[in-house]
Amino acid sequence: MLTIEKLTGGYGETDILTGINLSLETGEILTVAGTNGAGKSTLAKAVVGLLPRVNGRVTLSGRDITRVPAEQRARAGIGYVPQTANVFAALTIVENLEVVEGVKDRKQRIAEMFDLFPALNERRRSRAGSLSGGERQQLAFARALMTRPDVIVLDEPTAALSPIMADESFRRIGELAKTGTAVLLIEQRARQALAISDRGAIMDAGKVALEGPADNLLADQRAAELYLGVGH
Amino acid sequence: MTGFAELLLSGVMSGLIIGLAGLAVTLVFGIARFSNAATGDTMTLGAYGALLGTTLTGSLIVGGLVGLLAGALAAVLSYVLVFRQLANRSPISSLLASIGLAFFIRAGLGLAFGHNQSVFQLDIVRPIRFLGLRIQPNDLKFAAIALVTLVIVFILLHMTPIGRRMRAVADNPLLARVSGIAPRPVMFTLWSMAGAVSAIAGIILGMKTVVSPEMGWDMLLPAFAAAVLGGIGHPVGAIVGGLVIGVAQELATPFVGFTYKIAVSFIVLLLVLLVRPRGMFGRVEGVR
Repeated sequence: MLTIEKLTGGYGETDILTGINLSLETGEILTVAGTNGAGKSTLAKAVVGLLPRVNGRVTLSGRDITRVPAEQRARAGIGYVPQTANVFAALTIVENLEVVEGVKDRKQRIAEMFDLFPALNERRRSRAGSLSGGERQQLAFARALMTRPDVIVLDEPTAALSPIMADESFRRIGELAKTGTAVLLIEQRARQALAISDRGAIMDAGKVALEGPADNLLADQRAAELYLGVGH
Repeated sequence: MTGFAELLLSGVMSGLIIGLAGLAVTLVFGIARFSNAATGDTMTLGAYGALLGTTLTGSLIVGGLVGLLAGALAAVLSYVLVFRQLANRSPISSLLASIGLAFFIRAGLGLAFGHNQSVFQLDIVRPIRFLGLRIQPNDLKFAAIALVTLVIVFILLHMTPIGRRMRAVADNPLLARVSGIAPRPVMFTLWSMAGAVSAIAGIILGMKTVVSPEMGWDMLLPAFAAAVLGGIGHPVGAIVGGLVIGVAQELATPFVGFTYKIAVSFIVLLLVLLVRPRGMFGRVEGVR
């Protein structure tokens, strides 16, 4: 589905990503964890087309998209929920969904999103900027799902959420993967994320330091000590 | 009292023109993220376009449409040839380029039409008397044109898919891209709108007063002041800001004289920047 080969790049002249190799299959959840500054969010931006300078190769369903602009990647089937500023604050909830391009049966899809997130339907004419953190996160998910993406990239989706809301968020991510969407999940709550994931990768200094089945990573003593935090 | 009310009416008319120019400034700032100093000279270009169109066809309406198209075309060309090339650089680069572009347009118009003042040949009509006030019928037409322009801009921004996309890009350009919104159609629409709105402001100003190569440049400070007063990037705010400045300028005229009334814009601009930098309708930038 999504393959990343020898990916390097950054914002200026210095490489933040120093050689990433990863792949993601249909319906799979891949958690990317690591310390602050490891390059996780930069990896997300490289996949969705927002990193100014990249080398290497990113393919989606066999098609090389390394040089494809972000808006075309979105239409080609890559959804993205950034960590911050992930809704159009000045637009209403329904406008946030209507504005997404590359959507088939727009009205039906919006209705589906409101079925999935009923709280949003109740406030559909409210400005997104007036929503609570949890509601905003739901809208960010709904916006990214409008195109029925093959792959969705989630950059720390639980960062601003309470533990209860984070649990709910992880539950939804698990359900999403069951519908066939591949999920690239970048998370600080690595243990919880790995618990719902098929595989995991731990980044360090712009590289993948450890990679494997999620269960193995959770049981790995070195991963636990260095990256996941000891204790359960 | 009647004199005061007539100044107020005159201020509303000036305010609508300033507001339209401020609207063009704020539209560009909201989406392209820089202050376009060529707005005033695009107004002038629109006025000369209308003058030429009217002279050639004998129709004010056709002339007005020629002026509107000239403004829109000039703005789109300025985007394609100048501002698009500078899109990835600091906003200061685009601001400086727009100052250069303003000089270029003004010099070109001076070369083509000379530096003498020109006038639109409008029918002379008797003022309407209403509650003791003298109201020029042409002013009512100009106000109607300005209001129709505002309604069209509002409908475009709030009730059409391209307007929604423009507001999305203004709100969060990167999120717009990952939502599949291609920047190019948005930018072409933006520049067409900004150019057309500037041209309409210039045509109304030219019909109310005289047309000269410097007319638009003189409007730039009030236009910037209107955009800042209303809250930069806020279309309704620019219009309200324009009205406030127009009325303030006219009411100040008996005290400071015609020549110095433009200083009122500068004082308003200064006060807003010092007291409430986000303007009347501006919101705090940045959300999590």
